[in-house]
Amino acid sequence: MRSRKVIPRLISLAIFIVLEIASLQLLSRNANLQRLWLSRGAHGFMGTVWGSTQRVQNFFSLSKTNKELSLENAALLKDLMETREALRRAHTDTLGTVLQQEAGFVVIPAEVVKMSRNTQHNYLILNRGYEDGIQEKSGIITRNGVVGMIDAVSAHHAYAFSFQHADISISARLGLEGGTGLLVWDGVGSRGAILKEIPLQYKYNPGDTVYTSGHSLLFPPDIPLGVAGDSRIINGATNEITVTLFQDFSAIRYVSVVHNTAFDEIEEFLP
Amino acid sequence: MKKPGFWLIYLFLLVAQLLLSTYANFSPYVIVTLLPVMVLCMPIRVITYASLVIAFATGLTVDFLSEGLLGLNALALVPVAFARNATIRLFFGEELFAREEDFSIHRSGFGKVAMAVVFSVAIFLVVYIWADGAGTRPFAFNAIRFAVSLAVSSGLSLLVVNLLAPDSRK
Repeated sequence: MRSRKVIPRLISLAIFIVLEIASLQLLSRNANLQRLWLSRGAHGFMGTVWGSTQRVQNFFSLSKTNKELSLENAALLKDLMETREALRRAHTDTLGTVLQQEAGFVVIPAEVVKMSRNTQHNYLILNRGYEDGIQEKSGIITRNGVVGMIDAVSAHHAYAFSFQHADISISARLGLEGGTGLLVWDGVGSRGAILKEIPLQYKYNPGDTVYTSGHSLLFPPDIPLGVAGDSRIINGATNEITVTLFQDFSAIRYVSVVHNTAFDEIEEFLP
Repeated sequence: MKKPGFWLIYLFLLVAQLLLSTYANFSPYVIVTLLPVMVLCMPIRVITYASLVIAFATGLTVDFLSEGLLGLNALALVPVAFARNATIRLFFGEELFAREEDFSIHRSGFGKVAMAVVFSVAIFLVVYIWADGAGTRPFAFNAIRFAVSLAVSSGLSLLVVNLLAPDSRK
């Protein structure tokens, strides 16, 4: 008797859910505002769900985590010492403007709780959200280079496009004073990238370091990204150079989110 | 039992809703809708599955044929159909289902019918305003929009509820 009532209710619930999903699909296809809203809702949901499951996994790998943290601490200490040395030099250097520019970025450490690497549109989910100070349109870096950019933020998680995403490119420079171009993922390997649109007049040698240019509002300048490799000339006008990234995307866990404090002010100038 | 003309009246009100959606855009604060009362007053013998599909099709028709976002009315109307049986139980009791009798103002009283109509319109408006705003509208705007639209749409719905749910003993 009871099951005779329960089954029709379950069927009604299923039909209700199907019809609501169909309605949401129609809405998202026909209105940009609603599409973005639904996309953010879905990303927030994914962040919460995957963040929770990852916390359970992390509990069982604490010893490994501790080891990684100690390595990270050591690397950070080394970076701190190098930064102090650079700061000391900047006080005596009339061209010490690089540090002033970097001071325009807020840096927030975060942990990757979920990331995809097997599609052409990969993403990351971080365990920090707007309650931790994370904002949309922020960059994600490690000491080995650029990892991605934040797309949506919930209270405790952030959804980001990975650098290994077909639609993502970052402004990069060949050497400290070379030509600038767009660095994109090569779509294949975990360390492969391509530096595009480098004017032919800029000479380079395989093995030169590629840095962030600082032309993007998302990333500070002069972050080492990788090493230049072979090149080929495109349409007789520009060089396209293969780059081996310093960052191995198969081994990312701890990252830093950087947000340009002047982002909104500069955005107002842009059309 | 409903009179045989229920679905004809339903279609007539659907056309009226199309005209309202297209021409009755008085203010961003006012949503004029008859759709929740149309779904609420469907004959009680129409099972929930069918009412869900009818509500979806009705909403989609209004979305498609009038000036609106495709899927918005359907999204808001399906929950009204899903909650229809619970609404009838809440305001009119279980016995209507046992006797397979539809409610009417004469039989159930104006107060109960009015509360059921306001409740259904409220469900519709909550979903509609929430999805239409897509998180971009301030709470105060949504709250005023909800209150004004609830008053207008409920009032209009009570004017037509006698058409949809007439007293069968007349």
